[in-house]
Amino acid sequence: MVEKLEKLLAVKDISKSYVGVQALDRVSLSINRGEIHCLVGENGSGKSTLIKIISGVVKPDEGEIIINGKRFQSLHAIDSISEGIQVIYQDLSLFPNLSIAENISLNQMIERKKRFISWKEIKNIAEREFSNISKELDLDEKVENISIANKQLVAICRALTQDAQLIIMDEPTTAITKREIDCLFSVILDLKKRGISTLFVSHKLSEVLQISNKVTVIRDGKLVGVYNTEGLDHNTLSFYMSGKKIVDSVLDYREKEGQKEPLLEVKNLSKKGNFQDINFKVCSGEIVGITGILGSGRTEIALSLFGLNRPDSGEIYIDGKLAKIKSPQDAIELGLSYLPEDRLNQGLFIKQSIGNNIVVTILQRLLNRFKLFDNSKKYEAAKEWIEELNVITPSLETAAQALSGGNQQRVVIAKWLATDPKVFILNGPTVGIDVASKSNIHNIIKGLANKGMGVIIISDEIPEIIWNCNRIIVIREGRIVKKLNTNEVTEDKLLDILARKSN
Amino acid sequence: MVKNNRSFKIQKLLKQNETYLFLVIITYSIFITSLNSSFLSLENLFDLGKSSAGMGIMAIGVFIVLLSGGIDISFTAIAISGQYIAANVLIASGVDNIFFAFLISCLVGVALGAINGLLISYFKIPTLITTLGTASVFHGALLTIVGTKAINSAQLPDCFKAFGAKNLLILTKPNGINYGLSIFIIIFILLALLTWLILKYTMLGRGIYAIGGDIDSAERSGFNIAKIQFFIYCYVGFLAGIAGVLHISLIRYSNPTYIVGTELSVIAAVVLGGTRITGGSGTIIGTIMGVAMVTILNNSLILVGLSSYWQNFFVGLIIIISVSITSYQSKRSIGNIVFRR
Ligand SMILES: Nc1ncnc2c1ncn2[C@@H]1O[C@H](COP(=O)(O)OP(=O)(O)OP(=O)(O)O)[C@@H](O)[C@H]1O
Ligand SMILES: [Mg+2]
Repeated sequence: MVEKLEKLLAVKDISKSYVGVQALDRVSLSINRGEIHCLVGENGSGKSTLIKIISGVVKPDEGEIIINGKRFQSLHAIDSISEGIQVIYQDLSLFPNLSIAENISLNQMIERKKRFISWKEIKNIAEREFSNISKELDLDEKVENISIANKQLVAICRALTQDAQLIIMDEPTTAITKREIDCLFSVILDLKKRGISTLFVSHKLSEVLQISNKVTVIRDGKLVGVYNTEGLDHNTLSFYMSGKKIVDSVLDYREKEGQKEPLLEVKNLSKKGNFQDINFKVCSGEIVGITGILGSGRTEIALSLFGLNRPDSGEIYIDGKLAKIKSPQDAIELGLSYLPEDRLNQGLFIKQSIGNNIVVTILQRLLNRFKLFDNSKKYEAAKEWIEELNVITPSLETAAQALSGGNQQRVVIAKWLATDPKVFILNGPTVGIDVASKSNIHNIIKGLANKGMGVIIISDEIPEIIWNCNRIIVIREGRIVKKLNTNEVTEDKLLDILARKSN
Repeated sequence: MVKNNRSFKIQKLLKQNETYLFLVIITYSIFITSLNSSFLSLENLFDLGKSSAGMGIMAIGVFIVLLSGGIDISFTAIAISGQYIAANVLIASGVDNIFFAFLISCLVGVALGAINGLLISYFKIPTLITTLGTASVFHGALLTIVGTKAINSAQLPDCFKAFGAKNLLILTKPNGINYGLSIFIIIFILLALLTWLILKYTMLGRGIYAIGGDIDSAERSGFNIAKIQFFIYCYVGFLAGIAGVLHISLIRYSNPTYIVGTELSVIAAVVLGGTRITGGSGTIIGTIMGVAMVTILNNSLILVGLSSYWQNFFVGLIIIISVSITSYQSKRSIGNIVFRR
């Protein structure tokens, strides 16, 4: 198989700078046919930028791009597509109002410059591609009604209809659960068998080690190296990425003397079809972990606490007082904050400046004595959080959309921390955040707890739960199946409980 | 999840807005008939069909615009411009031919629609602002340049009157009076069919759905957004031109201040028909039913003896209620997605 050895893509010495940032500095990357290649690096290291250059969306300042042996002086998106490079954007670029079948087939129809539609053909194309991925889905279902993971599969199928040679995915696994990730990986392995390469970005190093053949590491826009995945382990990889050793610490929680009431107490909370008989407490200084697989009801519970999903019955007490939480405003006034799972869609005003994004939750506090908005107060408040969370940005006035994915996440965290809540509910606090910053954020959370805040972390990342929480609640099918103290469990045991092997 | 196919189909039917609207129309019609038995007669239905065909045609245009995620306020100004200019040209030139009238009215319509299309697709001005502006520019220009004088029945070219009286199917009542199925209704049905075909079977039509669903994705997929938008507003102009001629033929009179001011009830009809005001979703059948509902409502208010001022009140109420229902439903379904994650 001579073809196998042939290089599909080679970019050499690519540089790109934005105002005030050198996003990429002489980076090279090459991908062979049928190779699964991972691109890793810290937040803001330039991964997404490199992908945009390969797909022809962003023009590099310098460097050369060779695809299928052809050298491109200036690569346009159209060239990249016709050479078989398909990018699956994080927003997936699907049409929510159209059926799965149409979403899969439409691009091909456009490419073939069709003027009329044959619904039979649409169905056929979709069926052909989808059968390879072997998923039981109603092809007539509208895309707005299916899960993120299935949307991803639709986007992959669509890429395949256009004769993709290389499928690029930027952090495809941040918004989906373990089981869905396994499904995605089996699809990727399948593509490999068909000679189709995959380039993908992920911050979950265990995934990188599990799936890839080669890993390219970049740091601060510079190439660190290209490695064969065999011979790499978690620690070396995270060392390559950050240039330092990362040490995680465990939460040091001691029950406070003389504490009368828990900060938050939930009694018999139920909502039909969501969850049932949920009881738990969060005391000052505690970090309670809630874990469970997708659809177990973990997010629904959090939404109910935050006034976004009204429960059918049950009570919520805050500081021992019965709380009526009908809306997020109520929740915020009572001292709750909620960091949503899907931050890019639910947490950020993408076109607004970073500063405005951070202070949006605390506008009341930024008024001067004439009840007018005080800009210098805003500046100070925003600056404080930018520094606290190490957001890498040229200025406070930069629009949130110019930040790298991980830095956008930090802005959302900052925005909720700014409200100075009594109880902070974080749903997947570190998805899409690199290893070093992850432990950084974990430390911040632990620091908050040590100062007396009550924290709830919702996550299906077992190490995150074990390392940070003093108590763990396991949810399955809407019910609490287990409550544990962290010192009683190991990662493996918790995994077993989650996977229903033991109780 | 593979359920009994039939119950699955019924479930799907129950999820559709049209089903409910249909039931509401039927129930309401029966109710009105119980008050005034002439309501559900074939004669009255034909009559209603004829008088609402013009509104229906404009509604088709509004439907397409809403589908693409835009809105058009100027189509009534375009309709009256087409009508008034066509009537004046016919009088001045002495050509007494209804096809000529259609030609002129549609040309005016497409030309004005093209101005909207250009501003929206090329200069990327938001659709509401554009059409709000052009509505008053078009109407103002018509009144100052072409004139303000009404054309009365005596001055009106005969072709309009003949066209307005044209029936395709003539039936006789027991008391000997004739009535029939107006050609207006046929034109409306043909245009609805044409629009349905465009939307369902052409790339252009799918493009309209696509940009209404997600305009950025549509651009990345390779749709020519500017071209699609340009087409949409020209097509609306074309439909408005036709509606203008139907209107003058119906009332045998032309006043350049007519039609303008009815845009809200047309938009109301389309929204009532289940077209999402945020774009991407809606059906032509729904639109037709929405028009039917608004027409029946207006007509029945008269039958019941309420003044025409009440019509405005009810049309406003309809917009509010139907938009609240659809937005409540979509909120619920968005909620469900969030929860399932
Ligand atoms: N449009 C833009 N304007 C200005 N700066 C930009 C723009 N796009 C990216 N940058 C900057 O370029 C750098 C690299 O960003 P990039 O998005 O490539 O990072 P990344 O490796 O994808 O990070 P993450 O893991 O957080 O997604 C960042 O410092 C970012 O702020
Ligand atoms: Mg990125």
